[in-house]
Amino acid sequence: MSDLDDFKATYFDECSELLTELEEQFAAIEAGERDADRLNAVFRAIHSVKGGAGAFGFSALVGFAHAYETLLDYVRDGRIEMTDDVVTLCIRANDIVADHVKAAQTGEALPADYGMEEKERFDALARGERAGSDDEASGEPMEEFDIDFVPVMVNLEASEDVPEADADDAFETLPMQPEPGHWEVRFTPHRALYARANDPLLLFRELAALGEMSVRAIVEDIPPLSDFEPFAVYCSWEITLVSPSLTEAAIREVFEFVDGDCDIAIAQLGLTAPFEIPAPALVVEPAAPARLPEPKAEAPVDLLQLADDEVSDLLAFKRDPETAPPIVAAEPEPIAADAQDTFDEPPALSFADLAASIVPAPKPAPVAAAAPVRAAPANTAAAEGEDHGGKHSVGVQSIRVDLDKVDRVVNMVSELVITQSMLTQQMDENLRARYTELVRGLEVLAQTTRGLQDSVMAIRAQPVKSVFSRMPRLVRELASKTGKKIKLETIGENTEIDKTVIEQLSDPLTHMIRNSADHGIESPEKRLAAGKPEVGTVRLSAEQAGGNILIIVEDDGGGINRERVLQVARDKGVVAPDVNPTDEQIDQLIFAPGFSTASEVSDISGRGVGMDVVLSNIKKIGGSVHVRSWTGKGTRMTLRLPLTLAVLDVMLVKVGDSPYVVPLSSIVETMQCSGATFERVPSGGQVLQVRGEYVQVIDVAQRFAMHSTKAADERFVVLCESEGSHKVALVVDDIIGQQQVVIKSLEENFEQVEGIAGGTILGDGNVALIVDVQGLKSTIVHKNAA
Amino acid sequence: MEALGLRDDMAADKSALAAHNSLQLIAFSIGEQTYGVEITTVREIRAWNGATPLPNTREFVRGVINLRGTIVPIFDLRARFGDGQTSPTKNHVVVVMSVGDKWVGILVDAVSDILTVSRDDIHNVPEGNSIDTELLNGIVTHDSRMVGLIDLHAVVSGAKMDG
Amino acid sequence: MRVLTVDDSRTILAMLHHTLSNAGFEVLQAEDGQQGLDVLKQEQVDVVITDINMPVMDGIEFIKHVRATGQHQSLPILILTTETSQDKRDQGKAAGGTGWIVKPFDPEKLISVIHRVVH
Repeated sequence: MSDLDDFKATYFDECSELLTELEEQFAAIEAGERDADRLNAVFRAIHSVKGGAGAFGFSALVGFAHAYETLLDYVRDGRIEMTDDVVTLCIRANDIVADHVKAAQTGEALPADYGMEEKERFDALARGERAGSDDEASGEPMEEFDIDFVPVMVNLEASEDVPEADADDAFETLPMQPEPGHWEVRFTPHRALYARANDPLLLFRELAALGEMSVRAIVEDIPPLSDFEPFAVYCSWEITLVSPSLTEAAIREVFEFVDGDCDIAIAQLGLTAPFEIPAPALVVEPAAPARLPEPKAEAPVDLLQLADDEVSDLLAFKRDPETAPPIVAAEPEPIAADAQDTFDEPPALSFADLAASIVPAPKPAPVAAAAPVRAAPANTAAAEGEDHGGKHSVGVQSIRVDLDKVDRVVNMVSELVITQSMLTQQMDENLRARYTELVRGLEVLAQTTRGLQDSVMAIRAQPVKSVFSRMPRLVRELASKTGKKIKLETIGENTEIDKTVIEQLSDPLTHMIRNSADHGIESPEKRLAAGKPEVGTVRLSAEQAGGNILIIVEDDGGGINRERVLQVARDKGVVAPDVNPTDEQIDQLIFAPGFSTASEVSDISGRGVGMDVVLSNIKKIGGSVHVRSWTGKGTRMTLRLPLTLAVLDVMLVKVGDSPYVVPLSSIVETMQCSGATFERVPSGGQVLQVRGEYVQVIDVAQRFAMHSTKAADERFVVLCESEGSHKVALVVDDIIGQQQVVIKSLEENFEQVEGIAGGTILGDGNVALIVDVQGLKSTIVHKNAA
Repeated sequence: MEALGLRDDMAADKSALAAHNSLQLIAFSIGEQTYGVEITTVREIRAWNGATPLPNTREFVRGVINLRGTIVPIFDLRARFGDGQTSPTKNHVVVVMSVGDKWVGILVDAVSDILTVSRDDIHNVPEGNSIDTELLNGIVTHDSRMVGLIDLHAVVSGAKMDG
Repeated sequence: MRVLTVDDSRTILAMLHHTLSNAGFEVLQAEDGQQGLDVLKQEQVDVVITDINMPVMDGIEFIKHVRATGQHQSLPILILTTETSQDKRDQGKAAGGTGWIVKPFDPEKLISVIHRVVH
């Protein structure tokens, strides 16, 4: 990957964070919080998007962001009022910025006029503002922003003359034609020049690079010591420059940064003019009188030195531009040699060219030079701290680490956890009795490993905000497509989950919210007729519950149309004709493979994939889904997700000769069949009686068509409960013990298998299958009778 | 002599052909039958060492194995051709191949040879036996043996119970 | 030579780091004005490059604070700005900025501007 690609990757990462922040800020702004902090944050975010885009030449993005930024600038300084209309426009603009960013990232071109309408509205708002303003020029920035401008950072015109001209205009009016000759410059610094850390010496150094130079210090104004004001400015200079191709613009450029902080008079003399020009020939602008000194300025120190010793040095500064490299020779710092190489290069217009052209320093810079992206200030400072005594912490103590590196650590820790649990399993009673020290050591190892695992997983944990923040836009789009009025509420977006889980969350959430907006929320008319508020609400929330995260999508719509769902399910053969599922079972059907209420599928939920995608995605990451619906009142879909994907706590069981694992999170208890009370129900099925409750029994061997190797009484019951639904009793041949496993995908090389949530590799190298408790239970509806 | 000269010419033609028109196969056997797959698809050949059975799949899916940390399904080729499940021993062989972006193992009796055949010699599978036409890409004769060219995509599809 | 770069954009910080360290500078980084001040409290630097629009403490405030500190009155501070209009530059200069660099910056020019304000 080239440096430029690295920077782009950094930029797109940053953009996605900025866009997330925009969503958040506007959620608050929409709710009426329109304080300066928020407006500033919004402005900064767009400003940063634009700044980076400029560096990579994403001109469409820059153009739009610039217009938007200008609007925001007006809004934050009060020139434009943040009305609800403006808020709506801004939210739309955020989406457009996001699209531009995406287009830049994927290289896909957007239509040329994309966002034009909004841009025109920005302009109109700004123009409206300008009409009522006496500040003529302030409307200026609404012009098309030209990203291709030459990266000249100077307005070469004296700012007093054309204060409003932008860089482009100034550039065009420059007298670029070389005018050979002698030039005379009279330079009278003000105190402000020193206060801003500018230094006449550096200016002379730069002037010397332009041609043959001589400098005369005018020290006549220096008063007797008794009258000397230590911070006053007493010295001025006369400089003559001789160069065949020198222009006034080139001279003025040297004084660019001190413009306004000094008096400069520049005059061109005839080609034959004598080298020493008498002062009266100069056009001297009135010099500001030496002002009262401010006590802290230290500039006069320099000045005095100049007046004494360095004047002669300066006079010796006169040099032949042919033989002496200008700046470099005068600056014998190590940097010079490298810098010179870059000076000799033809001007690079883009960072891309330059990234390749800058010659690497021969000796590595002592700090962080090799760091790929960046080191946080605190760390850089710490690394630097050695020769500087004080080592107090500074700034935010955080570092940015490549995710690959974290993943490697996570994977290794996962393997370590597995190895540790294997070791623990090897300890039989015999060994325990004989090697007590070893056993103690293993216990400590187990504890430490657990701690290590928790800490590592915490590193990779991320707030769900990064996924939640994509949903407001989705809801806006759904609302406008369906003509419904929908409001999205988000709760608990700072809840943290493993980054890998978060990545798997986007598609299922999108589907669920689509489903809510499409099938749940009713049209405004229907809602009003039902005595509900016109605007429907979709609530998205996240919370931690034990070792799981619950993500809930709720709506206050009409609820699931069970009659219809059942009808469709029967038509499609998902439910056998003679089965009468309960309401709750019907609700779950919306996740069944092959089920989608096609006749009702709009182009929004459509695309040929139904909610079964949600279920399969969630299962893949070891989670479960549950739906509950209240007719006329709404629907709640709950996702239960593991905190991490890396390691799963399981119970290892045997069915036939094959090992299976059941996620510990779904197990309520285990018992021997001999001690359990089974009963027959009229349909022929078996139920288990546990503390007065009847629980459906699934003989795993029978369900998986395996030969049970044990007598019925010697088998075991694993009582399970998954998200929000009834318990189920799995009957297995043997219980081997608890352990931790790493989830492996079956689909990577095969396909989804009913009743199996995935696989894992045991300590002996064999594959064990992970039982999909929820899947086993839900297949009952259509399998039993079929 | 003239006839010999002619043969030389033919041989030269053949080697030229071989450069772009030949096919290298890994040949393996199931009972008396020989089958082949293109050598470039083969990733690994290993002895049978058991597999964890997969429930709710057809009888030709023998289960899954651990191949250096990833889970790979094993297909019983004999069962796939409808001749009943193989009763595998340590002498049976699993040929691990890539099909698209997936890796799969095929359980066979033995791996016999590496064959070089000309694409021109590949014949269509005669109509009649539907399972053969479904699972074979073609038939080629090598040393008077008939070798069926396995269509891997077809072999691995339809693994689910309801499929 | 040591440069302190202050910008809330990671992209810009990374690019500055790349350009400056390739040119042999030692680069310190801060993400806002307050962090910049914290670094300056502990570290000696030869020049500062700062963005204007930043959270917590913006560039203008940052420059004012730096200039108000006795030891940093002659520390050159370059303002990094995307603004082509004059007012941001003027504000920065009024606060005590030494010069400015317009984003998107041309790396050569960046180095030459630094040399313009540093001995």
